Amino acid sequence: MKENTAGIVGFGTMGRGLARTLAGAGIEALVMDRSPEKALEALKLLEANLDQEIARWGITQSEKKAILSRIKIVERIEELSDVPFVFEAVADERELKRGVFWGLDQVCPPETILITSTSTLSVSDLAGATRRPDKVIGMHFQNPVHKMKLVEVVRGLKTSDATLKKVMNLAETLGKTGIEVYESPGYVTTRIILPLINEAICVVFEGVASAEDVDRSMVLGFGFDVGPLTLADRMGLDEVRRWNRHLYNETGDHKFLPCALLRKKIRENKLGVKTGEGFFKYDKMGRKIQGGGK
Amino acid sequence: MKVLVLNCGSSSVKAQLIETDLDLMEKDEERTLAKISVERIGMSASIVRYNPTGKEPFQDTLEILEHRKAIDIILKLLADKERGVIESVSEIDACGHRMVHGGEKFTASTLITPEVLQEIHECSELAPLHNPHNLRGYRAAREYMKDIPHAAVFDTAFHMSMEPRAFLYGLPYVFYKEKRIRRYGFHGTSHRYVSGRLARLTGRPREEMKIVTCHLGNGASMAAVDRGRSVDTTMGFTPLEGLLMGTRCGDMDPAVILYIMGKEELTLAEANTLMNKHSGLYGISGVSHDMRELHKAAAGGNERARIALEVFAYRIKKYTGAYAAAMGGLDALIFTGGIGENDPQVRAMALEGLEFLGIRLDQGLNEKTSGGREGRVSAEDSPVQVWVIPTNEELVIARDTVKLVRGTTP
Repeated sequence: MKENTAGIVGFGTMGRGLARTLAGAGIEALVMDRSPEKALEALKLLEANLDQEIARWGITQSEKKAILSRIKIVERIEELSDVPFVFEAVADERELKRGVFWGLDQVCPPETILITSTSTLSVSDLAGATRRPDKVIGMHFQNPVHKMKLVEVVRGLKTSDATLKKVMNLAETLGKTGIEVYESPGYVTTRIILPLINEAICVVFEGVASAEDVDRSMVLGFGFDVGPLTLADRMGLDEVRRWNRHLYNETGDHKFLPCALLRKKIRENKLGVKTGEGFFKYDKMGRKIQGGGK
Repeated sequence: MKVLVLNCGSSSVKAQLIETDLDLMEKDEERTLAKISVERIGMSASIVRYNPTGKEPFQDTLEILEHRKAIDIILKLLADKERGVIESVSEIDACGHRMVHGGEKFTASTLITPEVLQEIHECSELAPLHNPHNLRGYRAAREYMKDIPHAAVFDTAFHMSMEPRAFLYGLPYVFYKEKRIRRYGFHGTSHRYVSGRLARLTGRPREEMKIVTCHLGNGASMAAVDRGRSVDTTMGFTPLEGLLMGTRCGDMDPAVILYIMGKEELTLAEANTLMNKHSGLYGISGVSHDMRELHKAAAGGNERARIALEVFAYRIKKYTGAYAAAMGGLDALIFTGGIGENDPQVRAMALEGLEFLGIRLDQGLNEKTSGGREGRVSAEDSPVQVWVIPTNEELVIARDTVKLVRGTTP
């Protein structure tokens, strides 16, 4: 077993965030994507993200080099057979994820812990695709993974205490604080933040206050680091709607019905930081342009 | 006695095997038997550099994932049939460890006992980037060398003689009392070594001299050594304060960072990296943190490189004056560290205009003293002697270890 090494399947936003965070903590990351070409493309994106971190004084050139040297692309799932942890970070589709878990279960030794990054699917259901449901667990990070200190460690029905403990230790090594949650739609973070964001949008939609003032009210009135609308812009407004829909479908609770203004913004392709405009305007570096709100 | 000196960082272990004893110290006949460094620990291609005295140096690239393995390799090399300098590891009589932070507890080096270990561990909160690695190295070394004494030598200990007037910050006293926030100072082993060495070189007891010591490397600090005791130093609660450094900003108005954090929406971690890794000579010049490259750029007309050098030298000058005032006089000034030992130009810039303090450089001596040379660089008639003395922290660690083992005070 290669200590100090972890596998990652899937090199999208979450996979890249995981690889960057693991490598930043001195852990070697073996990453597999659908094809080596896709993986190389993703690695380029990751490099660009690291350059942005340098521009924001977050890391230095030599740290970037060290991080990249700890990320290795592998082509076959068998190459992940020798590590204590494997993260699954493919698209949030049940069959796809179950397929990955089945494959990992075939090649990894019985002590390897398999970790899903799913935020919508059931950990217990994914664990059912393996012969080791006690060693399957969820880790729900916030984006950007390397920056946010919290990780929700999600127990499935059969996840063992030993697995939980090991993953909590791993979280600590990554510089995160883990909170233990049982599987439930939206866990803790998403379930609480969505109604807050939605209500903030409704306040703007009804003309009660401007977007800037809504954010100001939460920052200055309640000591939030950022306001709910800035937060929504950072999450991506399409993501916010996808989440609302998911939680509405799961719970049937009307508080998760997205406000009409959110849908309108999405139709206009004002998706937040990633398109340069959502409730506020942003420059290429993702910094808010002052006076860019309505 | 053969003493193994270990300096463990986050991803490196540096070791020296030194033969010394009380009589050898007196006669200046101590010998370094071998130097070894292991870098990039935790990665698949760690680099091992081995330099045995009188034998061929050797370099290798290996997978070394943890400090234990690094120390295992170091011991195997030292006792290797062909390359080694000892027959077996059992020839090592004692092991000395560099510890960065000893807090207020440790005012001198000490043998490591379970109680001492616990106390060093408690100091980790003050040096989260260093102490845990130092301790990891100690634990690994102890595994291989169970039956010999191990000693801890602290970077902070030499400065523990500072008075409250020098070590207190102007913050509410509760922060000192409860959180131990104060000036600790670093590079203590180096400041101590060079001031002691000067006494030896001039034949004048340290207890009679007022000395300013300048340790100028990638990290840089100065100390006011009044009759053998450090009474003030430029580094503070962390090694960020004081002189301009390779990539650290040194002294500045603390409100600046609050202002930048607000304006740029920086997190604590980003602000920390900004001040520690993006600032200093590199931050001002935008060229490099390396003095040689800065000189080259400045000579080629790069204005920012020239200014960076001036800021660097000016702060040394400013603290020289301040420390002369603090001690009520000045007998000698010492340069050490990579820049201090090798950069005549910076030395000249820093001391220019200090004739009123009694400092007069000998241009010729200054120019030719570099590359590990030791010597006086002030003019014959200069009231204040200026010396270049290559530092040797490992030797201090070995000596302290021997003294502790022999039962004398280090």
